[in-house]
Amino acid sequence: MLSRLVLVSGPALKNSGSFGACLVQASRSLHSSPQSQAPVPPLPEKGGKVRHGIFPEELFTLLYPKTGVTGPYMLGTGLLLYMLSKEIYVINHETFAAASIGAVIIYGVKKFGPSVASFADKLNEEKVAKAQEVKDIAVTSLAQAIEDEKKEQWRAEGRQMLFDAKRNNVAMLLETNYRERLHMVTSEVKKRLDYQIALQNLHRRMEQEHMVNWVEKNVIQSITPQQEKESIAKCIADLKVLAKATQAKATA
Amino acid sequence: MAGRRAALKAIDWLAFAERVPPNQRGMFNALKTRTDAISAKLASLPGKPAPIDWSYYRNAVAKAGMVDEFEQKFNALQIPEPVDTQTSAIDAQEQEAAQSALAYVEASKVRVATFEEELEKFKNMIPFDQMTIEDLNATFPETKLDKEKHPYWPHKPIADL
Repeated sequence: MLSRLVLVSGPALKNSGSFGACLVQASRSLHSSPQSQAPVPPLPEKGGKVRHGIFPEELFTLLYPKTGVTGPYMLGTGLLLYMLSKEIYVINHETFAAASIGAVIIYGVKKFGPSVASFADKLNEEKVAKAQEVKDIAVTSLAQAIEDEKKEQWRAEGRQMLFDAKRNNVAMLLETNYRERLHMVTSEVKKRLDYQIALQNLHRRMEQEHMVNWVEKNVIQSITPQQEKESIAKCIADLKVLAKATQAKATA
Repeated sequence: MAGRRAALKAIDWLAFAERVPPNQRGMFNALKTRTDAISAKLASLPGKPAPIDWSYYRNAVAKAGMVDEFEQKFNALQIPEPVDTQTSAIDAQEQEAAQSALAYVEASKVRVATFEEELEKFKNMIPFDQMTIEDLNATFPETKLDKEKHPYWPHKPIADL
């Protein structure tokens, strides 16, 4: 009975005394105030290892050097027997209720635990994957944007060529114009000289024709009617002679 | 003929075409066709006109001294070169373009700096599966839930869920 009292009052004492210390420790371990600037280590992937679902592995490793593998089990059995025999834990109908509920819970967890866990993990995975996708897209688009900007800068460097082309155009136009002028001058001079020559030729030809016409006219005029008759008579006589000659040739 | 224009600068049209951004391609094509037309016209004209055969004309033309006079005047004639009015305008344009290109490159560099900064942030980010919600809010401020504006869960308008 006294032991029971100790046990009942013990926790109360513990609560009042160490509660404050617990609080301080808790806040320091959560780094909520800037007392230590060390970076928070990454969150552990899985919780602490437990045996039989409740008892942490540290208890077993603690007791292993002194009592070996069966130590904690012995401790557990001893504690249980102590509590039952001394009636610190009294068996009543609540015990059976607790046992049946415990059995159902353990069966449920064992049967559906993994599937529920994988479902929850999948949900988390999806969230992480979405975020990762966003990040990847952002990274690639940024890299692409940087590339494009650099390309545009390179393009802007080439503006020199445009002005060279323009100046070339202007130079070519000027050169063309100059050459056209040269050609025009030459052709004009040539045209004038050729005109002079053509003019001369025309003069000469006209003089020739005029002279010929004049001579012809004069000759025709000078043929008197007397001369005409004589020349016709001569022609007839010649023709007769010729006719005789050909007749003679034909018969001979 | 003094002051013959400097030799035309050879333009690498292929490299030029590469540097043209896609939205100015039309202008580039127009420039190229114009240039080609001009250079074709230039190539069709011979450099010097055919020389005049003075001796033939001296014998052919009867008028005394005319040919000699013509020859003298022709050789003495200086054909003025066409005045270049555009090159200065082009140079002015070039200066202007240099200015604007400089400004553009500056702005572009600023943009590149912002992009690179963001890229750095993404590269140095802790992986998502090691983040807590505070880390997420720190890296992406837009994910922070406004607990003053919407004090009750889910701390954002239902439509945004």
